[in-house]
Amino acid sequence: MRSYFLKRVVSMFITILLITALTFTMMHSIPGGPFTREKAVPDEILRRLNEKYNLDQPVFIQYLDYMKGLLTFDLGPSYSKIGTSVNDLIVGGFPASAKIGLLASILIIIVGIPIGVISALKQNKPIDYVVMFMATLGITVPSFVVATLIIYFFAGKLGWIPSFGITNPLGYIGPVIALSGYSLSFISRLTRSSMLEVLRQDYIRTARANGIREWSVLGKHAIKNALIPVVTYLGPMIAAILTGSFVIEKIFAIPGLGKYYVDSVNNRDYTTIMGVTVFYAVFYIVMVLLVDLAYTIIDPRIKFGSEK
Amino acid sequence: MNPNKFEFIKDKYDDAETSRPSLTYWQDAWRRLKKNKLSMAGLVTIGIILLLGVFGPMFTPYSYSDQVNKYKNLPPIMKLYELGGTYFYVSNDYNIFAVERNGRLIDRIDADRSRRDVINKVYVYTYQGEDVVLDFSYNLLPSKMGYDYDLTLEYRGETATQHSISRINRIFPFGTDDIGRDLMTRILYGARISLLVAFIATIVNLFIGIIYGSISGFEGGKVDEIMMRIVDIINSVPLVLYVILLMVWFRGGGLWNIIIALSSVYWVSMARLVRGQILSLKEQEFILSAKVLGVSRSRIIMKHLIPNAIGPIIVSMAMMIPSAVFTESFLSFIGLGVSAPMASWGTLANNALSGMITYPYQLFFPAMSIAFTMLAFNFIGDGLRDALDPRLRKG
Repeated sequence: MRSYFLKRVVSMFITILLITALTFTMMHSIPGGPFTREKAVPDEILRRLNEKYNLDQPVFIQYLDYMKGLLTFDLGPSYSKIGTSVNDLIVGGFPASAKIGLLASILIIIVGIPIGVISALKQNKPIDYVVMFMATLGITVPSFVVATLIIYFFAGKLGWIPSFGITNPLGYIGPVIALSGYSLSFISRLTRSSMLEVLRQDYIRTARANGIREWSVLGKHAIKNALIPVVTYLGPMIAAILTGSFVIEKIFAIPGLGKYYVDSVNNRDYTTIMGVTVFYAVFYIVMVLLVDLAYTIIDPRIKFGSEK
Repeated sequence: MNPNKFEFIKDKYDDAETSRPSLTYWQDAWRRLKKNKLSMAGLVTIGIILLLGVFGPMFTPYSYSDQVNKYKNLPPIMKLYELGGTYFYVSNDYNIFAVERNGRLIDRIDADRSRRDVINKVYVYTYQGEDVVLDFSYNLLPSKMGYDYDLTLEYRGETATQHSISRINRIFPFGTDDIGRDLMTRILYGARISLLVAFIATIVNLFIGIIYGSISGFEGGKVDEIMMRIVDIINSVPLVLYVILLMVWFRGGGLWNIIIALSSVYWVSMARLVRGQILSLKEQEFILSAKVLGVSRSRIIMKHLIPNAIGPIIVSMAMMIPSAVFTESFLSFIGLGVSAPMASWGTLANNALSGMITYPYQLFFPAMSIAFTMLAFNFIGDGLRDALDPRLRKG
């Protein structure tokens, strides 16, 4: 167990090292620097700017500098927002993304899983068809379409929720629904099929034959086993959702991390791109690692160290 | 023993044989796919979309970049005011168009610049030598609140406050965008681009995934270990980030850049799937006998392993196409898509976003196109999974 954990941590660092190296080389192989403007910047000013941001050094030295900064959690200055550091951007943007992500994850878990279970228990009944139809729609309609439809009908036509921002608690409704739509549908479909599989097993029949009450059969035996594949998917998904969806934040004008990322892509603000990528990657990897470790608690059969 | 007491039963066996002809793997899969109505509906839908995307643009009078500047932001369904036998359409930005009764646009009526009263909100236009007076001050000026109509239109002594008929726009059935381009043409072109990106990216993914996965699975040992570590590393970052980074690296849009970005990243899941299949297949007897016969390794992979693993590969491919369509529209949506004036469905949706409340149809059509395509591909994928699943083969 401990050696497995150590191995994972080591491979996590190697992954981060490779990601930073790759991103850094990619950034620096693009012709033109961050201060290239349409109107030519005088040579002297350009030289001074490059000197200030250490851009006159060889790429390898710059990379070492960057990694040195990374070790002390310093992601460098933003090139397009002069005077702010990438750290400030992340600290400013992440809470909004995380809040919406957290609410969306909670919604997915408390709505998606019960819906899947119910529709498996009522297989081929009207409620099952309705749920599965909605779930298929949820998977196929892109989130930006859902988001714009929500704004159009609930914010525009009916005026129930504000069309942008999260200053009002009602403002969370739109982004949370749009963000959770796909995963909610996916989770309910997954729960349904895994539940159907489990209900067909012999031990469920045995439990019923032994006269155990239906609630016990479902709660203690069926649902618990049916949830294992669901949790497998849930882990990385929550990690991805918590870091926010670019599109949702753009549509609902939420000042989250995703919005900064898209802006920095459009402004070619390399340090911000780099910083947010590294932040996302580390966050994602740590989350996946934590979820993997949580498996041992949920399913005692899973042992680490040996692959299937 | 009297031989006459016996009879031949050969015929009966023959009957049993002929009642169910033997089917090949693909015939059997196709037979079961045909039973799945949703999948067939999906297949037909994709077929229609493909035909429309390939041949549709040839039959529209406009190209995707043609601008008719006077006809901007025209909706697919126009509310017409009838005055003195002439039909008028008033756009949201107070341009007036003369329209035939059946919904065919005649022309935009030019505003008389000198007779535009911006303060009292009364514009005067001239059509066929007579004045058309548009008064849109209702519910706008403080002195004119509480009306149940927003504008009045006056022509040849008649005044209208409500539109009399709604007609489909005959020239631009899906309307026009904010610089007067025909949305129908653009959506048909968009289908071309979205599906082209999706198909090519999926095929490239398929090739890389199959080659990578089968080598890794078949060789095993150290090679497998290293190759799978690489896959793990790629997999431990949200793939959208990689795609965005690649797109930045390519310095923005361009059809081929998107295809390269998508296909250089999304092969990972395919490689894993193929490796898993190969791992379980390579221990079987027919591979052993092939090895004993001295068949080369590449031939074993190509002729024996991959054909036997093709079912799950095809299912995963069918699921990959919609996610490629989705990723492409996502990239276009955040501004890293194909470069203007070319447009994919995602670009169209993105362009429509700013005017969404006023011109909802501009978003409706591309959004519906994406949703329908995704739905159709998902149905096909579901059906293929059921049809190719060996556990269900008895049915």
